[in-house]
Amino acid sequence: MNSYFNGIMKIFFLKYTMLGISILSVLSCSSDLDFNQGNDLALEPVIVANLATFDIPVHQFVSGGIEQPQFVDVPNFDLFKDSFFKNNLLKVEFFFEINNTINRDFVIDLVLLDINDSELHRISIPVPAYTGVENLVPYPELFDSSNLVILTSTRKMSFTITMQQPGLPLDVNSLGSLKLRSSTTGYFSIK
Amino acid sequence: MRKLRFFFVLFLTLGCFSQNKQLLYNFTSVPQSMLTNPGSDFKYNWYVGIPLLSGISANIGSSGFSAFDLYANDGVDFNTKLRDVVFSSSKNDKIALNEQIEFFNGGFKIGSDEGDSYVSFGMYQELDFLLYMPKDLVVLALDGNKDYLGRVFNLGDFNVKGELLSVFHLGLHKKVNEKLILGVRGKIYSSLFNISSTKNSGYVYTVPAENAAYKQIIASNLMLNSSGFLNYTQNYTGNAASDISKKTLLGGNLGLGFDAGLTYYPKQNIQFTASISDVGFIRHNKQVENYSYKGFYVHEGLTPDFITGSSTIPTISTKFNDALPFETLHKKYTTWRPIKLNTSLQYSFGEPENSGCNCNGNEMEYMNSLGAQLFVMSTPRVPFMALTGYYRRRVSNALEMKATYTLDSFSRRNIGLGLSTTLSKVNFYFLADNLLEYRDISKAKSLSFQLGLNIIFSDKEASE
Repeated sequence: MNSYFNGIMKIFFLKYTMLGISILSVLSCSSDLDFNQGNDLALEPVIVANLATFDIPVHQFVSGGIEQPQFVDVPNFDLFKDSFFKNNLLKVEFFFEINNTINRDFVIDLVLLDINDSELHRISIPVPAYTGVENLVPYPELFDSSNLVILTSTRKMSFTITMQQPGLPLDVNSLGSLKLRSSTTGYFSIK
Repeated sequence: MRKLRFFFVLFLTLGCFSQNKQLLYNFTSVPQSMLTNPGSDFKYNWYVGIPLLSGISANIGSSGFSAFDLYANDGVDFNTKLRDVVFSSSKNDKIALNEQIEFFNGGFKIGSDEGDSYVSFGMYQELDFLLYMPKDLVVLALDGNKDYLGRVFNLGDFNVKGELLSVFHLGLHKKVNEKLILGVRGKIYSSLFNISSTKNSGYVYTVPAENAAYKQIIASNLMLNSSGFLNYTQNYTGNAASDISKKTLLGGNLGLGFDAGLTYYPKQNIQFTASISDVGFIRHNKQVENYSYKGFYVHEGLTPDFITGSSTIPTISTKFNDALPFETLHKKYTTWRPIKLNTSLQYSFGEPENSGCNCNGNEMEYMNSLGAQLFVMSTPRVPFMALTGYYRRRVSNALEMKATYTLDSFSRRNIGLGLSTTLSKVNFYFLADNLLEYRDISKAKSLSFQLGLNIIFSDKEASE
């Protein structure tokens, strides 16, 4: 009984299963495929994001009737700290746009500081006084493979706004503001 | 090498999908057709599947692209091909894999020889995987957001589920009268591994703004549930083989379900069938891990405060992580099995030359049958549907064939062929569809096959 059963099994398997599968696999064709191509995968996204903004109304430059010529703030800035950026960034563009509607010259200093508060990089943007016509100051800054390490080492970004002397005196009734908006564009190559 | 490639393409790149068993459904000379309709019309006295060999089926499908589209050795840069595939696909394109292997399966008549009730039972293991094309996320990863200002990227595009489970089933089949046969089957599911992330939502967008450079928002409601993996991801010291055996034998996450079906003959040569399968759920409460990424983040960049200073304000990365925390939780969850509906209408004609054997059911008193079938299956998105026209022919007492033509979202030219032979009580069947795709398998978007061996004692043989 056992051998009969085995015999049947053998016949059916050899005859039909193999026949069916081999018909499919022998008659089937396949174009030449190369699965190693998957190793060539490279993602190259370009990401834009806000970098920094401020909007200082003119009255903040006057306190108790006396001009305040300089403002400083040093926020933490660790956007590029993660090792992902160290490994996959090709270049980064900062783009600043200043809109000055105050009738005074300014200089905006942006300083990138490392973990010890030491200066890594300084961006100094002169901003002319408002004269009644649109006063947009564009300012690009590029970091590429030669100096990207500056960004990945940065832990703080110091903002210093200095109102230039001399100029028309400001009082509480003066008009205008000093606005900055900026973006960062990261070019990645992820392999 | 050629065979290797064949199987690699078959099992890894394409897989098999949809669980539409249009060849098996109502192919009553194959006992496994009972699994697609517990009320199908068959007349075995008893049958038993050869353990592990009685039912093997696999099914893979990719509605958006084929292996050839991505991996053709044509000198075109892989990344160019990838972009072509991604940008020509939609978020409803899917890659799906379904595999079933029967451990054992059997059935017998209860009551007297003239009885009209049958009991069937068995156990099989099933692997299911369904991944929708996460198109928006892939576009974001490929291109970033610079060229897509104003576009809302939908995080809900991420939709995946996968499961390995064993199913124990017990069915009852009753011929109510000459015209009507009813059947039901109860199922106990034991899930070995599950991942499920099907109810995601959220968006990412960047638009130019007035005061800042951009208005940038990430709203995320992403959740991935998993069960069964925990032991293996954390300093596992147990015996994986024995663990998996235990889980297979009702030691996994358990669930319940049922199938129901009927066959009805309004006239002797006209047959209507319908079935609903896998109405059931699994409760995941063992080795559960959920990954949650939920929150709302508005990216403003640095906003220096020249009055009070901002040195004490958290960094951007801290704000980001606080707003969008990635959390690992251990919350129980429930998954629903994909519900499958099958229905068919069949017209039979042609008296058999030798009507000695009536082993395969009423309708096979005829030589030929023409019919149509409709298959519908629930998915996390729109239900999957397939319409099949078929021709069945009893070539001899020992050989029956079924040819199908199926329309579904994977293919408009799916031709399938099934053969079932029953010789010396041994039934062997082999069913394969998408036969045209075998001309160049690398371009196939969907393939499936079923095969198996059974021992059948038909009514007639039993009474001899």
